[in-house]
Amino acid sequence: MPAKLTRNFCIIAHVDHGKTTLSDRILEHTNTVAMRVMTDQHLDSMDLEKERGITIKSHPVTMTYPAKDGKIYKLNLMDTPGHVDFSYEVSRSLAACEGAVLLIDAAQGVEAQTVANAHLAFAQKLKVIPVINKIDLPSANLELCLKQLEDILTIPAEEAILASGKAGIGIEDILEAVVLRVPPPRWTEYPQARALVFDSLYDSYRGVIAYVRMFSGTIKAGDMMMLMSTGQRSEVKEVGVFMPKMTKIASLGAGDVGYIVSNVKDTSEIKTGDTITLAHKPATEMLPGYKEVRPMVFCGLYPVDTSDYEKLKAALGRLRLNDAAFVYSSESSVALGFGFRCGFLGLLHMEIIQERIRREHDVDIISTYPSVVYHVIKHGGVQIEVDNPVNLPDPGEIVEIREPTIKAAIHIPNDAMGDIMALVMEKRGTVDHTDTLDAARVMLTCILPLNEILVDFNDRLKSITHGYGSMDYELGEYRTSDLVKMEILVNNDPVDAFASIVHRDKAEGKGRALCEKLAEIIPPQMFKVAIQAAIGGKIIARDNVKEMRKDVTAKCYGGDISRKRKLLDKQKEGKKKMKQFGRVSIPSDAFIKVLKTN
Amino acid sequence: MSGLPTEQAKAATRAPLGLYVHVPFCASTCDFCAFYQTQPTAVGVGRFLDGIAQEAALVDWSEPVTTVFWGGGTPGLLAPRDLARLAATVRARCGGAPQEWTVELAPASVTEARLAALKEAGVTRASMGVQSFQPALLEALGRAHSREQIYRAYDRVRAAEFASVNLDLMFALPGQTEAEWAADVREAVALAPDHLSTYCLTFEEDTALWVKLSQGRVKLDPEHEARLYESTWAQLATAGYAQYEVSNFAHPGHACLHNLNTWRMHEWVGLGPSAASQHAGWRGANVADLDQWLARIGRGERVTEDRVALTSALRAEDALIFGLRMNAGVDLSAWRPRCPEAPWTAVEALLDRLAGDGLAQRDGGWVRLTDRGRLLADSVGSEVMAAFSTEAFVA
Repeated sequence: MPAKLTRNFCIIAHVDHGKTTLSDRILEHTNTVAMRVMTDQHLDSMDLEKERGITIKSHPVTMTYPAKDGKIYKLNLMDTPGHVDFSYEVSRSLAACEGAVLLIDAAQGVEAQTVANAHLAFAQKLKVIPVINKIDLPSANLELCLKQLEDILTIPAEEAILASGKAGIGIEDILEAVVLRVPPPRWTEYPQARALVFDSLYDSYRGVIAYVRMFSGTIKAGDMMMLMSTGQRSEVKEVGVFMPKMTKIASLGAGDVGYIVSNVKDTSEIKTGDTITLAHKPATEMLPGYKEVRPMVFCGLYPVDTSDYEKLKAALGRLRLNDAAFVYSSESSVALGFGFRCGFLGLLHMEIIQERIRREHDVDIISTYPSVVYHVIKHGGVQIEVDNPVNLPDPGEIVEIREPTIKAAIHIPNDAMGDIMALVMEKRGTVDHTDTLDAARVMLTCILPLNEILVDFNDRLKSITHGYGSMDYELGEYRTSDLVKMEILVNNDPVDAFASIVHRDKAEGKGRALCEKLAEIIPPQMFKVAIQAAIGGKIIARDNVKEMRKDVTAKCYGGDISRKRKLLDKQKEGKKKMKQFGRVSIPSDAFIKVLKTN
Repeated sequence: MSGLPTEQAKAATRAPLGLYVHVPFCASTCDFCAFYQTQPTAVGVGRFLDGIAQEAALVDWSEPVTTVFWGGGTPGLLAPRDLARLAATVRARCGGAPQEWTVELAPASVTEARLAALKEAGVTRASMGVQSFQPALLEALGRAHSREQIYRAYDRVRAAEFASVNLDLMFALPGQTEAEWAADVREAVALAPDHLSTYCLTFEEDTALWVKLSQGRVKLDPEHEARLYESTWAQLATAGYAQYEVSNFAHPGHACLHNLNTWRMHEWVGLGPSAASQHAGWRGANVADLDQWLARIGRGERVTEDRVALTSALRAEDALIFGLRMNAGVDLSAWRPRCPEAPWTAVEALLDRLAGDGLAQRDGGWVRLTDRGRLLADSVGSEVMAAFSTEAFVA
């Protein structure tokens, strides 16, 4: 099929605006998936994705569509990850398209991610087709949506298509718009073969499978391909398309979306955004937009049961195979034993990986307090990166510490404005400007330190706005800040897992809260135990663990010896499951409780 | 030549041997009680007594019994002639009069005829389960006796002139105030028993109280319990009762020998359903069911439950766990040579730590817990267990 009869497009939307359901209806309409094998949300294959209603990994699919103009078109639908943590992946999926269907929930209107995604699409110079979805809802407000489309997104309202994925309304209109409005594949005339890698998958039999969009030339089995970012060569074993199952074909040509199996065995060697070309006649320029993805959020992950270390290591290895953005390396903690320092794109990414370790790999883990990557300037001008508070140099060696910031777009109801401004201030942020979205909502553009939004910012936002607030962010610059390392001492010994880098002004409050929480969570001990927060050896907050007053069974006659031993043995085993800090036993879940509530 | 001096010397150095008989009959079930008991019937009692005689015949009695303890259940519920029959079985194993012979009594079933039978049999110590003098609390415990019955029973017991009389009391009962408990102790002291046992209410599984606890109808309050413990100890010390164990107090010379020997990890033979034994190299218990017990005795089987070999290390470990509950503590210098393979380094480290925290005191070869430490005897016990299960030792 000639490239001019191919359309490559994606669907972008805010979470829960109905992207997956609409995708499914499109597949149905083009008979890509037989009705009987149709299950809800066909494109999302991971359980976790289904549960959270978000897409983590992109799954492209090739469809055949006989348009009203009598021609048969090949439509490649790219499914994009739905969260800010994966914005680079999103941008690469978008770069593989010429058009984007922008979904807006008729009842919710434009939200933070709608704006962010639309801007990403504009940046990739995609033709955006606005679709107002869920128009069959009683609470649908078409007038408002169309007005927002023009006011906020500067898209003419008459371009909007009215649809309902659930009721199957407007599906054909969308497909026709894709054919008519989305331009045919671009850059097909480039003299050498170029394919954009927008994702990859690890298969235990076939190695790494690269998901690609061919822009020019052809690639077929037997070719020697080359990855342009590294110059690495590899023989192509198989090429194919997604129907939606992987289906082998003879060759991939300009405009096609498909996959390439080569003898690359490690996901990290095929990076999202890289350009694949042919080794014997290589392209000279990469496709635009490639960058190294670097993890932004780090935490330590430790097995609750130390004997699970190998199991955890295997789990991380397998997760890494399918997720090049996730990194890990061994580390050890005095408090928690042997574990791993793990890097994530963002908080959601971190949560998902942790959840998958627990669920899919059945390893109970403890996570340390998350940290961002600090730039520490030492005397003599040496700059080091610190992602673990434990590694922060001695204050005497430090000239300054810089921390990453984000530029956040926060959409909130008008009446939450005061509380949200206060929250932003509390989190050391500034409101750059305010835009009115409609009569009831505003958008705040804020600059915030990344480390301040790591734990509870989103929860607080949701709680203040009763669930109506939403946030999207992009990374901003590094800024110098008065940051210090705060340590927590249990019975005078620092517990490394609780160390954190905090702003000096917030250290005391945070220290007090942590001490209080720990004193409450650590069970009563047989002796006096102090919990202290300290900066550079100076105690800034303190609390005491309750002293155990009574633990004795009254009656103890001859027959009781065995029974009594069972009771004591249970007590002993219970203690063994706890982590020992010097002489203090702390239940493993205390860490989770403390780290969660902070 | 007379062999008498040698026999006497033997008797003096002989290790004590206890005999415990579990009489599983009760008129009603108390809400706090988890001991095995059943309704008494003439047939049931007859089979029980036959069983005891049969079981006693299975035991290898190479040493004479030095102390006897009849517990239950309510041994004092048996008819006088049944008491006499049980006593005859026991006496045959004692080689003369035992040093101490305790029988547990319930106030509601103390009669002159029964007391006469016990006295005649050679019982030296009467232990009566009073629990409380407050009618409301007695009722809350499901205890089937009145305040008047307590007084009448006590007078009868005293009139029978046993060498020693004990009263059992319970505290930290649901709804009981500190003042109410102090009044109970005062009232007990006013009766001038030779021995007092004060038990903090324990919620045992399979009891009515446990059910209430798990339903949240009663609540545990360790702080309140600790205060009651402390006030009891002070009150009884003032009244001239010396504490010798977590829950036990006595006038000089009236401590319960049978129990002391148990806590010192000597040996005892247990007869009857659910009775525990520590004897002839084994520790364990009989099955806690009258019919099953009889069936097994019929097959020549006893001590079938929780059966473990009695090693010297296990004895040393338990001598510490249970010995530290006693005010006198444990004579380590006696146990070390008996069990040189025990992990004494770990034990010493633990004891030093406890001493450092003000929970234990060292005195030559002896170690004992302080008052504060005794209130944490279970925690201490589990740490002793941990010391004995250190890898180096177990390997």
